[in-house]
Amino acid sequence: MSLVEDAARSTAYRRVKSMFFRALTLLALAFVLGPALWLLIGVAVKAVPHWSWSVLTSVPSGNGGGLENAILGTLVIMVGVLVLAGTLGVLAGVFLAEFVSINAKGKERGVVLRTAIDVLAGFPSIVLGYVGYVALCVGLHWGFSLLAALIILSLMVVPYITKATETALRQVPTAYREGAEALGMRTGYGLRKVVLRAALPGVVTGLLIALSITVGETAPLLYTAGITNDLPNWQLIHHPIGYLTYYVWTDWNQPMASLHYISYDASLILLVMVLSLLIVSRVIVARTQRHSESVR
Amino acid sequence: MDETRSSTTPGSLDPVLARLDPDRGRPAQVLETVGLNLAFGSKTVISGVNIGFQRGTITALIGPTGSGKSTFLRTLNRMNDKVYSFRHEGEVLLDAESIWSPRQDLLSLRRRVGMLFQRPNPFPMSIRDNVVAGVKAHGIARGKQLDVVAETRLREVGLWDAVKDRLHDSPYRLSGGQQQLLCLARALAVGPEVLLLDEPTSALDPLSTEAVEAMLRQMTPALTLIVVTHNLGQARRLSDQTMFFYDGRLVEHGPTAQLFDAPREATTQRYVHGLIG
Repeated sequence: MSLVEDAARSTAYRRVKSMFFRALTLLALAFVLGPALWLLIGVAVKAVPHWSWSVLTSVPSGNGGGLENAILGTLVIMVGVLVLAGTLGVLAGVFLAEFVSINAKGKERGVVLRTAIDVLAGFPSIVLGYVGYVALCVGLHWGFSLLAALIILSLMVVPYITKATETALRQVPTAYREGAEALGMRTGYGLRKVVLRAALPGVVTGLLIALSITVGETAPLLYTAGITNDLPNWQLIHHPIGYLTYYVWTDWNQPMASLHYISYDASLILLVMVLSLLIVSRVIVARTQRHSESVR
Repeated sequence: MDETRSSTTPGSLDPVLARLDPDRGRPAQVLETVGLNLAFGSKTVISGVNIGFQRGTITALIGPTGSGKSTFLRTLNRMNDKVYSFRHEGEVLLDAESIWSPRQDLLSLRRRVGMLFQRPNPFPMSIRDNVVAGVKAHGIARGKQLDVVAETRLREVGLWDAVKDRLHDSPYRLSGGQQQLLCLARALAVGPEVLLLDEPTSALDPLSTEAVEAMLRQMTPALTLIVVTHNLGQARRLSDQTMFFYDGRLVEHGPTAQLFDAPREATTQRYVHGLIG
């Protein structure tokens, strides 16, 4: 067999192989996108025909009413988690990436910290919820309360924020740090003005994942936030608070069609919230990264 | 007049100019190393370097890769201090005061001894903000003054006409050479006395290299430059003094022409003739 025929055969073989793997990646994409679209469209189709704007402005009553208490409650919980878990998570990530000391063998300390955070990320949310119930609601006599919910949810999502922040910071080129140092910037100043700025997309992604989890979480909230049809009243303890996921589940299990509508409305509102979060974070990243190396 | 002053300073030429010299009364050698040994862990990188850098001159550090010249350079503004297991013995004197003395403030040391890196490293902020980044950090200027600083420094490095209409654009849209000039403007903006350059043109094309070199030549005698370079031609074109490092030792140093044309050491001769790399 000649060399030319050999080459032709191997070219044909590579072509088939390349097509096969391309088809495989496409299939994988379809598996990811399919359910997401199905969910989105499914919820929209069920919710939109019966949509009434009064859902946004009234509280649950009898077999109907609205979801104002839950929408506001979910927003309050989101903002609370953003403040509490965001602060903790970003600072812990900065610590792990920038300030962990080096031991005598030249290895970084901080293994314990990292492992602890990974373990926290692996905790089932219902266990965390129950811990919150026992320790905070009962142990500290807080009752079902916003603060207990915020603490437990924050514990749940802090690992994601920390990990994302640490990874993003580690990917910032040494040249930025050295450039900042060589100009005589204080460590903290250079970190804020140069390094964190470059790491922002990663940090924002971490916060986004954390908030998405927060918005969609139910089990730990059942244990810590309780539930109420009242609007949030800014009391941190001794007052339960409403949230959307509760109505998605509970109302759907009721026999009345009117409550099923409410359940779909709650789902739709949740999806819209998550989508808006996505859009807002993309806008933030695009605005702050217009001078970054990857955008030309 | 101080006889040790280099002829590039006005002092030895004209007594009137000498009176106006802002560096009057300061040591002739802006930087000096005394018995300097540098090591990472147990590995000695530089040993026994005693050398002075004349104010207002350009010194080239040449030598093969791994000869310790970059480590030496990065020690001069204490960039190595944070590197794990870095150790130093001996002294580096800036205006006759140790750079490691407790009275020395690290941040103002780095303001006085600036640095330009091998690869252009603009920060992820607008062109204008890049130029004034150090100025802001040191609180040298603020508000509207920053625009003046940006324009002055960009003009100084010859970038102004190229960027004046896109001061708020990303610096990464500039060419490599322009980015390096931007970094030079940023380093100059904080008013350094000494500028350390670590192979400043090795990532640039010949035209950009020429532009940067021309800029560097104009900066003396106001500034003292210390340039690490692998480009022997550049060392020759640019510098007044040349130091040849080989295997962690300062083998030879002297006026550039002498070191290249009539080196005292056999190793130097072989290196400048391209026989060892």
